[in-house]
Amino acid sequence: MKRLAKALVALMILTLAAAPAFAGKLEDIKAKGVFTAGVKDSQQPFGFVDEKTKQIVGFEIDIMQYIADKLGVKLALKPVTSSTRIGMLTQGDVDIVAATMTHKKDREGQVDFSITYFMTGQRLLVKKDGPIKSVKDLAGKKVGSVKGSTSEQNVKKAEPTTTVVSFETYPEAFLALKQGKVEAVTTDEAILVGIKYADDKPEAWDIVGDYISPEPYGLGVVENDSKYRDFINLTLMEMWESGAYKKIYDKWFGKDTKNYIPLTWTMELWP
Amino acid sequence: MHWDIVWNNLDYFLWGAYPNGPLGGLAMSILMALAGIFGAFWLGLVVGVCRLSSRKWLNMPSLVYIEVIRGTPLLMVIFWFFFLAPAVFGFNLPDWQSAIIALIVFTSAYIAEIVRAGVLSLPKGQMEAARGTGLSHTQAMIHVILPQALQNMIPSFVNQFVSLTKDTSLAYIIGVNELTKTATQVNNRTMKAPFEIFITIAVLYFVVCFVLTEFSRRLEARTNRYQARNR
Repeated sequence: MKRLAKALVALMILTLAAAPAFAGKLEDIKAKGVFTAGVKDSQQPFGFVDEKTKQIVGFEIDIMQYIADKLGVKLALKPVTSSTRIGMLTQGDVDIVAATMTHKKDREGQVDFSITYFMTGQRLLVKKDGPIKSVKDLAGKKVGSVKGSTSEQNVKKAEPTTTVVSFETYPEAFLALKQGKVEAVTTDEAILVGIKYADDKPEAWDIVGDYISPEPYGLGVVENDSKYRDFINLTLMEMWESGAYKKIYDKWFGKDTKNYIPLTWTMELWP
Repeated sequence: MHWDIVWNNLDYFLWGAYPNGPLGGLAMSILMALAGIFGAFWLGLVVGVCRLSSRKWLNMPSLVYIEVIRGTPLLMVIFWFFFLAPAVFGFNLPDWQSAIIALIVFTSAYIAEIVRAGVLSLPKGQMEAARGTGLSHTQAMIHVILPQALQNMIPSFVNQFVSLTKDTSLAYIIGVNELTKTATQVNNRTMKAPFEIFITIAVLYFVVCFVLTEFSRRLEARTNRYQARNR
């Protein structure tokens, strides 16, 4: 028994010693030569698998590519979901999370956020000419959303008598809406637009209601590494000021795309 | 019907972005299943034999191992290895590797029980006769008991391996790009053909499992020739 206890203690010490010594993330990434980004792989147009090239592409991927170029390293993409993204970041599986993640106060305890790189708000996707026109109409009805997302909690707050049915991804929630399993799908407008226009008959669906909540997206980075976070923030600002951001935005959300959302907000730029 | 979507993405379902990117789709599922079957067989065999041992320090840990794993959903085991292992060991495992380890750990607990049942089902006289010829317990186990027992266990093994093959689909939760995940990706991009896509995936899984069953049936028939005892 004593021997076992000794072995256990030794094992614990070894485990502690095996934990990597803390070096700044920036030096880490440059040493590795790879910038690993946690992105969505089934979320048009933020991150999805392109039919022809079979590669993950999208708005967030282009932003990540810009940052990787700025760092002078290769970009590696790792698919995450709303439920795994924070865990993967805190564990060091990914260096950054760019996965339609809303900057929320209560997430600050686990990860740090960059400044807002995309601004949207939560609304409802419903059947056109259906009974649902605003969040109040959801009373006693079912609404689809995604596990671990903020939308899930916000809609419940806005209309406590609604039942939230949670899915793994938003398109699955949309499928449930199509099949009448839920009356509406709720999440950020930008995602809803993507879902609506990917459908065969976009005109059959409507995005309704006031913003249930504002949804500023932030890039998730590890806690307590201000040098790294500053670098990300300054790069985002540089993108905005140089017009590189607008170019990427127009590529995915501009007038010529099927996901047209006018650019109506401005990035927070430090003087 | 949108079978064209299935057709256009069939290569993606079969081998992912390979060779321009990482291997995925069905190829990934099969690789995971093979690695899982290989690992689970050996680990299960060891745990199962330990479980049969009369030495307490051998059979108690394996009993605990078997009961804990069998009392836990596979999804939980996958999450454990993905999120807990790095916290314990201090380094990260890539997602598909942690999924394979989870599959091995999970399935081996069941294999261990199959091994135990297989050994116990042999007549007691087998061990006694083997010991009587002067073999040690370990030697008797390796040369006399296990070869006979394993032969009888083939159908149960196959059951477990088919089950493992299907279980690889659960790895999609931690982002492994196997067959189910590729289907979800394509379905979520197109959103027009869930029925067609998932029927295709089901057929692909069926074909793989059917081939596995058929292979084992032949294996069983072939090994039976060498064993007159059961006939």
